[in-house]
Amino acid sequence: MVRLIPFEFRKHFMKISIIAAVLLFSALNVVKIYSVHEGNSLLSKHVTGPLWKGLYWKMYKDFGGTITDEKIGKLMAIYRPLEQQTADLTASTTHDNPNTYTGNVYEDFHFFRWCFVNPMKYAYDYKAYAQRVVNAAKDNIAFYDAMDNPYEARKNAAVAELFQGRAITSFSYTEMYQYYVQYDFSALLALLICLYGLMSVFLSEKETEMDALLLTTKAGGAQTVQAKLIASSLFICSVCFWFWLLDFAAFSVLFGSWDGASSPLYVLEDFIHASLNVSLGQYAVVSALVKTAGILVFGLAFLLLSSLFRNALIPFIVGLSASFGCIYMAEVYMGSGRVLLKLVNPFVLVVNRELFRKAEFVALWGYPLPSYVVALLLSAVWGAVFIGGLTIAVRKNTLRKGGGKRVFVDV
Amino acid sequence: MKVTFKDISKQYKGKYALKDFSAELGNGICGLLGTNGAGKTTLINIFVGILRSDKGQVLIDGVDARRLGVDFLSRIGYLPQFPQFYKNFKVMEFLRYVCVLKGIPKEQGEKRAKELLEIVNLSDAADQKIGALSGGMRQRVGIVQAMLNNPDILILDEPTAGLDPQERIRFRNLIAKFSENRMVLLATHIVSDIEFIANQVILLKDGQLLRQDTPQALVGGMEGKVWKVTATDETVDEKLKCLKISNMMRDQNEIHLRVIGDEKPDVHAVNVQPNLEDVFLYYFEEGEQW
Repeated sequence: MVRLIPFEFRKHFMKISIIAAVLLFSALNVVKIYSVHEGNSLLSKHVTGPLWKGLYWKMYKDFGGTITDEKIGKLMAIYRPLEQQTADLTASTTHDNPNTYTGNVYEDFHFFRWCFVNPMKYAYDYKAYAQRVVNAAKDNIAFYDAMDNPYEARKNAAVAELFQGRAITSFSYTEMYQYYVQYDFSALLALLICLYGLMSVFLSEKETEMDALLLTTKAGGAQTVQAKLIASSLFICSVCFWFWLLDFAAFSVLFGSWDGASSPLYVLEDFIHASLNVSLGQYAVVSALVKTAGILVFGLAFLLLSSLFRNALIPFIVGLSASFGCIYMAEVYMGSGRVLLKLVNPFVLVVNRELFRKAEFVALWGYPLPSYVVALLLSAVWGAVFIGGLTIAVRKNTLRKGGGKRVFVDV
Repeated sequence: MKVTFKDISKQYKGKYALKDFSAELGNGICGLLGTNGAGKTTLINIFVGILRSDKGQVLIDGVDARRLGVDFLSRIGYLPQFPQFYKNFKVMEFLRYVCVLKGIPKEQGEKRAKELLEIVNLSDAADQKIGALSGGMRQRVGIVQAMLNNPDILILDEPTAGLDPQERIRFRNLIAKFSENRMVLLATHIVSDIEFIANQVILLKDGQLLRQDTPQALVGGMEGKVWKVTATDETVDEKLKCLKISNMMRDQNEIHLRVIGDEKPDVHAVNVQPNLEDVFLYYFEEGEQW
């Protein structure tokens, strides 16, 4: 079976049309990331002008790294006067003020406020905030114990354990990660390429009448199906990792740094209640793996569709419609309290920040399971269902053991 | 090697594609002759296990093929009706793939593929993409893939469909070459494919066995049933309406008709030597009107 895998990969995925689609979508992806940077970054000349970027990296040398009282004092020595000067909006609005960093006192104020003061304040305050969460959770544990509600008590214990000892000790450039974790366009592109590539895996055998020939060979039955599954998984993983790598590289290059990789995930304000105690770099890896798992589940669904039909158009339309249905469902339930409806959709793995940005739990036999674990379990169930469907749907040779249950019924 | 089909029946939506088909085949080329829709492909599909019969058994040397399972599959070489193979594969690459499918060790498969490509005169095309091959070349690749495991039984379903006359003759000669010491089951509706190479012919009609015999015996059975009749432009239309005509040839003002029938069609009719095409027409053409 192992010897079949390279042939299956070559047969279905080493096609000019697929390679061209990957290249084209990669270019499109980079352009999209460029537009994200140009349209949002505080250091983009289109958002804040040409001076901020250079000034930021100059100041970053002074304020980046471990947060110390000395650095805070130095920053506030610059910021406080600016705050006072601009408080009543009577300061000079000239753009060639030689006593400013950017030429304008208001711009100086906003520069320091958005680029240094606010993020540093968030980092500085986070430790106390996390401790408050821990204390509240501990109070809740006592309360729910008294109310004889073990599930809520266990849930609060999990929250307390999660937030215990959290602190942000250093200041780093995290703007790149702020947009990187929100970026989903590449996942859509990867999903479309997988849909296009996988749709032919079983269909092409029927279209070329090779299915009959395969069934009359020793390894043309279950072994070929297994080889197809493995080759398809390799294809999905390759496409996904290529796009995740491209995302990370393009974000790092366009934003000018991936400096904050070692900062904790909760350094991003949107992840203040992050359900994982990992660094941003680790999160990038975890998120990529979970996204890949989500696309793998979709891939299995596409393979099942490919095995059911004789014509490529119908399964392609069905696959595309199902994918957009899942995307719509994910949008509808994102951020909602209907956790199970959110988690049952495998697309939640593809846009997985919803799983990691807050500590959310699902009750399972009285025990709180983090929502990302439940989402992974449910997706594994979907995957098993699709594989089960495939084993039923593919044609079998009647001469083989167990063959003949379904041998010639194709929709 | 002896293959026995025992009371095989297969129905599609209440209509018999094969009905109580029984036959016994030995080594050599067996032509499975029938019109389109006669049940040839159904019989082959049941034989190779792609289809399940509603009734009956296929016995290989007295053992049920289902009991042999995968062992039986490793003894057959099969060329389906309209295989296009994989257009993005090169010929040699495709053959390597089939070797893996058939469980042939790498070096042995490589050697065998090269030998077979040499035999079918495709050595120069080994590095060509299958999509770039002509229909005849593709069919030759088809027979090479079927022969890779040196099978005891070679099954060819309409192998000459879509080939030009020259390619058809070349392909027929190849089959004859490969038939040594093995059983070849060749399904076709083109009589010339098997006329001079088959040792046995099975005539299949509406899913039922009509005759099974050697071509010589079948042709011999037609002695006295094939006539040459001469007609004119005035009389030819009437003759076409009431006689079973296998051939018509104009010679200046006369038209020579080759007529098939149990009785002498005309007082001037003369008996001629029958051939397998006449046998085919005798059994399969029923009251066709021109």
